Amino acid sequence: MLCVFYDSDHHDAPITDFLAERFPGVPVLGGTSCDGGMNQLGLGGRGSIALLAITDPEGDYGTASVLLDGDAATCAEKALHAALDNAGCPGELPELIWIYQAPGHEEEVIAGLRRVVGDRCPIIGGSSADNDVSGKWRQLGSDGVMTDGLVVGVFLSSGGVGFAFQGGYEPAGASGVVTKVAYATNGATGVVTQARGRRIITIDHKPAAEVYNRWTDGLVSGKLSTGGNILAETSMHPLGIDAGKIEDVTHYLVVHPDQVLEGGVLSTFAEVEEGTRLFSMRGDKARLVERAGKVTAAAVANIPGGAANVAGALIVYCAGCKMAVGEQMEGVADAVTKSLRGAPFVGCFTFGEQGVVLNKNAHGNLMISAVAFGR
Amino acid sequence: MEGNEELRETLVGMRQELDSLRTEAAHATLLLQALDTLLVVKENDDPFTGVFGALLPVFEASHAIVLVQAEEGSDELECTASSHPALLSLRCKADALLTKVLGGRIVTTLTDSALPDWLLDTSDDLSKSQPALYLPLGVRDRRGMLVLLRRPDQDGFDRAHVALARKFSLLASHAMAASRAHQTEAESHRLKHLTDQLTQSQSALAHRVNHDQLTGLANRAYVQELVDKRLSTKKDGERLALAFIDLDDFKRVNDFYGHAVGDALLCGVAERIQSQLRMTDILGRISGDEFVLVLDPFVERREISVLVNRVRDLLKKPFAIEGLSVKCSGSVGVAIFPTHGRDYETLRRNADAAMYSTKSTAKGNVTYFSKAMGQQMDERMSLEERLRNGFAERQFRCVLQAKVDMGTRRVVGFETLARWVDSEGVVHPPATFLQPAGELGLLDGITGMLLDELIQKLPTLNKTFGRDMRYSVNVSAAQASRPGFMRSIVRQVQSSGSAGNFMLELTEESLITASVFQTQTLPMMREAGVGISIDDFGTGYSSLSTLADITADELKIDRSFISSIHLRPRSQSILRAIESLGAALGIYLVAEGVETEEELHFLQDNTAITLGQGYLFHRPEFIDDLVANSGLGVHAA
Repeated sequence: MLCVFYDSDHHDAPITDFLAERFPGVPVLGGTSCDGGMNQLGLGGRGSIALLAITDPEGDYGTASVLLDGDAATCAEKALHAALDNAGCPGELPELIWIYQAPGHEEEVIAGLRRVVGDRCPIIGGSSADNDVSGKWRQLGSDGVMTDGLVVGVFLSSGGVGFAFQGGYEPAGASGVVTKVAYATNGATGVVTQARGRRIITIDHKPAAEVYNRWTDGLVSGKLSTGGNILAETSMHPLGIDAGKIEDVTHYLVVHPDQVLEGGVLSTFAEVEEGTRLFSMRGDKARLVERAGKVTAAAVANIPGGAANVAGALIVYCAGCKMAVGEQMEGVADAVTKSLRGAPFVGCFTFGEQGVVLNKNAHGNLMISAVAFGR
Repeated sequence: MEGNEELRETLVGMRQELDSLRTEAAHATLLLQALDTLLVVKENDDPFTGVFGALLPVFEASHAIVLVQAEEGSDELECTASSHPALLSLRCKADALLTKVLGGRIVTTLTDSALPDWLLDTSDDLSKSQPALYLPLGVRDRRGMLVLLRRPDQDGFDRAHVALARKFSLLASHAMAASRAHQTEAESHRLKHLTDQLTQSQSALAHRVNHDQLTGLANRAYVQELVDKRLSTKKDGERLALAFIDLDDFKRVNDFYGHAVGDALLCGVAERIQSQLRMTDILGRISGDEFVLVLDPFVERREISVLVNRVRDLLKKPFAIEGLSVKCSGSVGVAIFPTHGRDYETLRRNADAAMYSTKSTAKGNVTYFSKAMGQQMDERMSLEERLRNGFAERQFRCVLQAKVDMGTRRVVGFETLARWVDSEGVVHPPATFLQPAGELGLLDGITGMLLDELIQKLPTLNKTFGRDMRYSVNVSAAQASRPGFMRSIVRQVQSSGSAGNFMLELTEESLITASVFQTQTLPMMREAGVGISIDDFGTGYSSLSTLADITADELKIDRSFISSIHLRPRSQSILRAIESLGAALGIYLVAEGVETEEELHFLQDNTAITLGQGYLFHRPEFIDDLVANSGLGVHAA
């Protein structure tokens, strides 16, 4: 299996040609990553390409690609079965499903995959990214490159896998209930199918962007009247959703506001349901750096044999966190390398992250996801 | 611990470890049972009858099938054992999936395409959507497998089942080889050694799963299990008492002496309580500083009170830890079976309520649960529910009470106080909701709501009372100790564009965390121009040096000293001392709770305190009312 991540400014053809020539018949999984990738040698930076090859003669691996046109959930379901067929394991429950997709349909994709595997199998991955949110993201599978697609990889390894999925944000105090979202509709009929979506119209019956602006002490004041992209400003001040409790302590799934739209509507990178309480969250640079190491260490601890048995890892680090961390990003690569004790890894920077939160497969933003492979 | 993030991480880690230990313990038990069955069967008996009995409930499977190569090396498989009689005659060719399993892979299937045709063809009551789990198994010198099937309406097997299957597959293959093929002495010895190891590991795991690692006492889940077991065997007239013990101010011990001393104290407490127990009593630590003591059996209530009182008194004796003499006490609540509950959860909850009552009235004592307490608990739960809803509906409003120059009655500022106006329009004073709101974690949000309203109405207030007025906002000690929260409050105040018009009222308790306050919060407040007032002064613990360092703008003398001051010489002496302190530090003094003319006259005639606050001057009003009534009395000169 090959995992490949590259800067969106690259042309695809030389990369696919190289892979086809050097690794004929090997399943490929990956795509574009914001400002390149990272590995055990450090942060690749602009223009970089990062590649991880997994060799496991006793394991089975497969990938499949699908264009996300129409019902994304059904597309995902088909791609999963195709990936299992390609791995030579039709009808088997994989050990891990790894996905890379165009941003926008993550919840539907997870819903489709969960129709097949429920929460019996971890679904981990990221949403492909470009360098400036201009839509130049691509997804790379064994069949080539797509701009609005999904690549599903299935892993049935012989050495076992460990995984972890966490955010690095804390509640800042304020919270409110989502009272209106722009509904998802069912086809041309416009029937309201669910009171959830990525455009929050009101929180506590007030324009969502205004409420968010108040919670964050005027962070997006400049965009309230004009609207616009707020991805960079909001990286340290996202929203949080209660994902469940352990011993009465709440765990949060993070949602990243990306735009202020007309009428004070707040657009986000993940779906929010009406009636959900949204929490104002805050981040801290140092913690976002350390967290990458901690998430990796947690994944490593879960593989059979623990750290002594780690062969390598696949890391997904949110591009929003990357923006927030800025010049300290080398620290992120160092922290991951340290947790892996120098074992090889490849890391991508994404516009959405998928992983397991309190035993449930979920999509979130500004999260860090790690998969560690055992020998 | 640095913050909630670390706490969350620790909890997830602990949960994973506990889950994994429980799973391993359950696995070890199962493996022992199944192996035992395999090892004791006679040569000609079917070894799987017992194995199926042990495996099916644990895997929640409905059927089990053993397929073995018809001949060594053959790709034809025959069913040699099955819990489903119709499958016993089955013969099939090894397809790709079965070949993988024969090669040693554990395979579990997706639920929508689980069963292969060769299996479906053998029986009408098997369905394609039955989840299946395939485990490789060596049976004598031939390869084979065990296939476990679930009902079609059940979920498929998950990763935990695969892990269990992996262990069973390995050990069962060894056991089969040894028991069925005239094992040698060495093989027999090896197998016995393996079984012994498993037994030891199971017992060690069971202890770790059921006991608190620090004190060695039973943990929350195990206490519940033990008590439930006892309760299930109780006959009419038999009783049991459950005492809930919570250490008083344990957090302070951790804060002052550090976690090592805190941990040693918990161990000391556990030892002392244990020293009083009878053989049949149960003691557990169910969370940080909470212990559950189960007294079983007892006939007369006096027996409980003697023992519980002895525990209470023992806890009050100082603990010698690392050369320190650490003082401690425990508040105790007791509930009795069957009068106060017939199951563990009810008894624990009621004992907890009784303990809570002890805490709020007389820490370090014992309270027995009563019906009235049960009613209070119901009311409290209802209050919490209404508070949560009220919070979501932003029902918390701001009222202002004037602070005046006692000589001229000129208003010099206002204190912001909270009121909860519920959905029926009933106005609740802070005493009825602040404490529960704090416990529910709503206080920060409520403070934010009050500030929002105040800031929103500031232009109107400025117009009515002038721009020089200062508005005080109360901040609890817990809030003041969190620089993050204080930063958000200061930012909120700054967003009004008139930070200089605001003052934060902190209690003396806030100053205990003076170092954090001074290094992080104070400079932020000073830079923003926000004033600092020390509220309820005289009732707390603040030291003179801390007060000097904090450089507060205002000291508000607690109402307990002002009430009937003209009749209380002792309060008068204290007041004089506070007055000298204020003068020495150059801080304005405000007399709180002035309610009578006598109190006012005493203050004016005997002290130099000029500022006062209380019902004598002004009762708190909603801002709109205050503005509307401004011509009627409370107004700036």
